[in-house]
Amino acid sequence: MTEKIRTAWKFLFGDSARAFGSLSVVLVVMLAVVPAKDHFREWLHYQHEYQSLIRNRSDGVSLARRFQGGVQQIWLPELDVVDRCATCHSGLKEASLAGVAAQPFRPHPPIPHSLTEFGCVMCHRGQGFATTVEDAHSSTKAWEQAILPARYVESSCGQCHERPLEGTPQLNAGRDMLARYGCVHCHKIASPEGRVMTATDDPPSLAHVAEKTTREWIFAWIKNPQAYATTATMPNFQLSDEDARDISAFLINQSTPYIAGAPRKTPAVPKQDDTAAVQQGSSVYGESFCASCHAMQNAAGLMTGGNIGPELTRVGSKVKPEWLADWLRNPKVYDPETAMPHYRFEEKDVGLVMGFLGSKTDSDFLKDVHMDTATAAQIAHGKTLVSERGCASCHEINGVAHADNFAPELTAVGSLPLAKILFAPGMAHTVPDYISAKIRNPRSFGNALKMPKFTLSDSQVDSLVTALLAQTTRAKTLPATLRIQAAPPSTYQPAGRAGQLMTDMRCFSCHEINGRGGSMAPELTWEGSSVQRGWLVSFLKRPNTLRPTLIRRMPKFNMTDEEASVLADYIMTVYQTAAFDGAAKFAGGDSAHGKDLYYGKYACNSCHILDPAKDKGYIGPTLTEVGLRLNPEWIFHWLKNAQALRPGTLEVNWNMNDEDARAITAFLMEQKAAPRKGASR
Amino acid sequence: MKLSEAVVGVRNSRVWRSVFRAGTGDTNLHRSLAVQQNVFMHLASVKVRRRALDFGVTWYLGTLSLGCFLILVVTGILLMLYYHPSVPQGYADMKDLQFVVSAGVFLRNLHRWSAHAMVLLVFAHMFKVFYRGAYRPPREFNWVVGVVLLMLTLFLSYTGYLLPWDQLAFWAITVGSNIMSAVPLMGAKTRFLILGGNTVNANALLRFYVLHCVILPLIAVVFLAVHFWRIRKDGGLHTGEKTHE
Repeated sequence: MTEKIRTAWKFLFGDSARAFGSLSVVLVVMLAVVPAKDHFREWLHYQHEYQSLIRNRSDGVSLARRFQGGVQQIWLPELDVVDRCATCHSGLKEASLAGVAAQPFRPHPPIPHSLTEFGCVMCHRGQGFATTVEDAHSSTKAWEQAILPARYVESSCGQCHERPLEGTPQLNAGRDMLARYGCVHCHKIASPEGRVMTATDDPPSLAHVAEKTTREWIFAWIKNPQAYATTATMPNFQLSDEDARDISAFLINQSTPYIAGAPRKTPAVPKQDDTAAVQQGSSVYGESFCASCHAMQNAAGLMTGGNIGPELTRVGSKVKPEWLADWLRNPKVYDPETAMPHYRFEEKDVGLVMGFLGSKTDSDFLKDVHMDTATAAQIAHGKTLVSERGCASCHEINGVAHADNFAPELTAVGSLPLAKILFAPGMAHTVPDYISAKIRNPRSFGNALKMPKFTLSDSQVDSLVTALLAQTTRAKTLPATLRIQAAPPSTYQPAGRAGQLMTDMRCFSCHEINGRGGSMAPELTWEGSSVQRGWLVSFLKRPNTLRPTLIRRMPKFNMTDEEASVLADYIMTVYQTAAFDGAAKFAGGDSAHGKDLYYGKYACNSCHILDPAKDKGYIGPTLTEVGLRLNPEWIFHWLKNAQALRPGTLEVNWNMNDEDARAITAFLMEQKAAPRKGASR
Repeated sequence: MKLSEAVVGVRNSRVWRSVFRAGTGDTNLHRSLAVQQNVFMHLASVKVRRRALDFGVTWYLGTLSLGCFLILVVTGILLMLYYHPSVPQGYADMKDLQFVVSAGVFLRNLHRWSAHAMVLLVFAHMFKVFYRGAYRPPREFNWVVGVVLLMLTLFLSYTGYLLPWDQLAFWAITVGSNIMSAVPLMGAKTRFLILGGNTVNANALLRFYVLHCVILPLIAVVFLAVHFWRIRKDGGLHTGEKTHE
């Protein structure tokens, strides 16, 4: 063997000429490898494949004409985008390749943006510079951010779009959850222009909690909130029995009375076995439309009702009767910030509702909870726990200061460097996987972590991850012209006595006026231009629904005549649009011609009911008494351009000529039929 | 025969003689003139001991270092055609070299590996010289020149390290320049001077680029010339035989 090696060595490097020759051969081979490697680049292979794919197609000629070989690049310096994805993804813009399943040749699904104006990495991330599959899609040592898994791709829309988009339901849901589940109480999340996201869950103050409920209930609730109410947004802190005992001891101990010394009378509450009275209470609950905000499990086990207020399925096991009476009389006495309106209940009705809510008791819920009298040590330990667990980030608690930035800020969590993340053993090393695991089970990263566990479905977790992945550092560097900012929060507050009434009845919990308020009920900014005063007063006194397809939600507030009149005056005077220009144009139409147009040319009866016996339309409001309800000028302009009056309305934008609009207005103003029997109370 | 006659004819032509004045005579005078009248050749010795050419004497470490240096100059100039010393374009240019430029990866890797090899070879050269005692008189000055060349090699390595403008580069230079600032009295000033500021940023990148591509290579070429020239002046390579009989 050594002999052979020696011979070979002598042959190759025996003298200087041979050595020179051998090394030259090595050099030539090396220099030949370099262009060869260039020739066998991955993307060339894909481009050849694409060409053979289109060759056999009927539209191959036009596809081939549009095909461009070589490295294809999108360069957008102002967006910091260099994209070479189209080098291999040759068919991105070819809609006719829709049937092709094999990547990288599939066409891009239609999106509102032009691919060449936004590039690929803006939405899909990954390494745009790369021209190899591995480098472009995976996380490598030289480029950390891998391509975004398709199920989170909506998050990229959120980098610019701070308002909800129709095409991004998952992102919208995720953002709503960040606010609704109170994530932002502990975690700061700011938009690129610095606006901090605020929570919408309104956690109750615990400063007077001993007046409202018992220590036993607190114990059971903090052990597992979802055992009391499946829709509860309070997370599970996975407390031990001892910790829950001490926290409940402290919370009862810190509580102060909310009405100093006043003796509180409880109205006559019907006994639970008085089924007739409980049924009556149920009727008051129904008539007052409590279910517009509060959910309750019905006998069939289905959850019905809104999610603005807490679920009431087991409320009888929770609240004390004296507190409930005060609360129903006027909630603001206990909680000045509550979203619950001030119903002007008669004392008798308060008792009936209490009787009904008292029947909503789960005798099993507190069966096994027995609390001994708390010791001073337990109370002190409870206070420590309350501070450590960040209870005061959400709840107002006497003696424990609200903690700002209790948890890490998540403003740029979508761009979190992998080196800053402590991954749990066995999990994939990517940011989406980390966020998702952290939400699903925070304690899987260590028992000492404080983050509580939320009860969420898989799709809810995906939504949250999507919303969080939208918080990137790239979002900050994008030009301001691209950013669709969220509507600035409105601080609108109506003035005077009407303003006080609107605050008292919490109109803004459901209605939006001048940019402030909820989205459950119609927007009222121009209500005064729309309706007639007489109808408004009667509606405020006895609300009903206008639309056959919608369940009525507006509660009856038991207003006095004076209160209804003050509100109506204010609405008629202040909530006027500036767009109307006087009486000349809309008056004097031919109502007979209007009727023909209504049933003929414009077929309004497809959506609206005018004659309950004949008409079948049920999409739009019933118009039987529209002549009593609406202002003719409003009808005229509505017929001409409804979108201008109420953006997003389902009403067709007719662009009617003045004559037709005048005629239909005149016809509709004649519709003053008395309400159908039983249609509303 | 015809070929050699032609070669002689060319060598005796007027043009050839105007460039290479010395003829091709076989006397010692002609040989030494051929070397001394050529700007490149005159750095080398007129005569070399046969023993000095043996592999075992030097392991060719100096020549291999020079070879690396030449490769680095050539690939470095080619890389300069693609590289902008600016933030953040420098990093994007690395990506272009990796993914788009023909043979870009080859160029970059050749530059990088040659740089590593040069540092290794220069150290090996130093140790070889040291253990064979070749630093002793009359070669003590050339030893000092050699040490300067070692330092220049290291500076070239260090300045080149920042140019990719990636995390590795940024932090290596941050750490390195912080070490620099620990020098008593002038440390902080030196750091400011080298970086062109207080942090590693656009100025530092530009300064390192100029040092790496212009200043340090020019100084290295001057010292290389002195180094080679002194080999001849100090009596050729140290072979271990007695130089002065």
